[in-house]
Amino acid sequence: MVKEIERAGFPVVHIATIVPISLTVGANRIVPGVAIPHPLGNPDLPAEEEFALRRSLVERAFRALTTDVTEQTVFND
Amino acid sequence: MRLELRRAVVEGLVFGPATGLDGGLLTVDADEALRCLEGISLTKMRLEIARPGESVRIIPVKDVIEPRCKVEGPGEVFPGFIGDVETVGEGATLVLDGAAVVTCAPVVGFQEGFIDMCGPGADYTPFSKTKNLVLIAEPEEGLEKHAYEGALRMAGLRLAHYLAKACASVAPDRTETYELPPLAGRNSDLPRFVYIYMLQSQGLLHDTYLYGVDVKKILPTLIHPNEVLDGAVASGNCVSACDKNTTYHHLNNPVIAELYRRHGVDLDFLGVIVTNENVVLVDKKRSSSYTAKLASMIGADMAIVTEEGYGNPDTDLVMNCAKLERRGIRTVLVTDEAAGADGASQGLADAVSEATAVVSAGNVNAIVVVPPMDRVLGWPESIATLSGGNESSLRPDGSIETEIQAIIGSTNELGFSAIGSRWV
Repeated sequence: MVKEIERAGFPVVHIATIVPISLTVGANRIVPGVAIPHPLGNPDLPAEEEFALRRSLVERAFRALTTDVTEQTVFND
Repeated sequence: MRLELRRAVVEGLVFGPATGLDGGLLTVDADEALRCLEGISLTKMRLEIARPGESVRIIPVKDVIEPRCKVEGPGEVFPGFIGDVETVGEGATLVLDGAAVVTCAPVVGFQEGFIDMCGPGADYTPFSKTKNLVLIAEPEEGLEKHAYEGALRMAGLRLAHYLAKACASVAPDRTETYELPPLAGRNSDLPRFVYIYMLQSQGLLHDTYLYGVDVKKILPTLIHPNEVLDGAVASGNCVSACDKNTTYHHLNNPVIAELYRRHGVDLDFLGVIVTNENVVLVDKKRSSSYTAKLASMIGADMAIVTEEGYGNPDTDLVMNCAKLERRGIRTVLVTDEAAGADGASQGLADAVSEATAVVSAGNVNAIVVVPPMDRVLGWPESIATLSGGNESSLRPDGSIETEIQAIIGSTNELGFSAIGSRWV
């Protein structure tokens, strides 16, 4: 789906826990997720900390979306 | 470490007044057998018998366990669950060869499978050939799903142990001896093989236990193959039926059997490294690095790696491969494929260039139609939510159209099945 969206001309970010799979399938902008059962959060954290974690993931994804890339890029921070 | 497997062959299975094995006929006192499950949080427990060739479907199946018990030496089979946690793999163990305990319950609903005792579905599962004592059970009210899984796991292991224990005085039909010398002092010119045993450990009822320890919490560790033969590895899995390793598969691991058979002939079998398949990337990195390091420390030249499950564990598989190969250890992978109904899609979710030798146990998405059975044990409607099935799988006449991944053991990645193909 990531590749098809990109082919249609839209920049796209793949938030994925298992980054190697994302690299193998050819995503160009990758943001590492938390864990396979909960890629966008961490139920072990207190609510406030989890909110901060989720916000940072979304902000990182926005930053990745607006960054020009020339090769497959993993946005670790 | 030396272990005798004393095999008493089971030709038939019936209910009767006293549990025991006589002339190949295993008789089970159902009331006494159920009494050994007292204290387990299950209700409506009943036992049924399913024999090879009978028109019987068992659905959904959680685990299959071969009846075994220790007759000499320390510890007890299934350490951590039965008896203590003493190290197993020495002395002698009785095997009721040809019999199996099958646990059947709608524990999860979406990732269990079925066994047909005859017809085309029977060809895909080894448990159509075993004489099966089937435990059907429901949870006590209010029991959470993970506790239900735990209760069923314990019930299956206890029942298998009970059956063997009741036959402990029987003279075996044949005895096999499994012995490896210590690693230090080996003086062999043969290539040194290690077996990398990947165990499903994704949590959410996708778990495996080593001496009762949840393997998602371990660092990869070296164990003797005899420990596996005595049940040190037990399944707690409710994953896709086709390539989950039931406890029976662990006890009869064909990779271990073949490495033993060829030990001292054309290879030197060093041992087994148990590793996991966790759900966060850092665990996958840590475990694969640690596995390759252990293999290197014991001087392996060659590694055979088996996967359990498909999808994200493919990353664990190829990480293990790449890191072993980079240490100069030639590596063969045993896996299966999720390649679509036509088999044309990419088989694995992940790939590395080092994976140059791969054995495939089949395509989980292949479609099969199985006819109605005269007797159905369990909940046939559950095919709608099994991996590989869907809402229209169960037809009005009782036949089922499904992917083979809904059949227990159909693409087993230990190679414990009759189907497969070879990649070049």
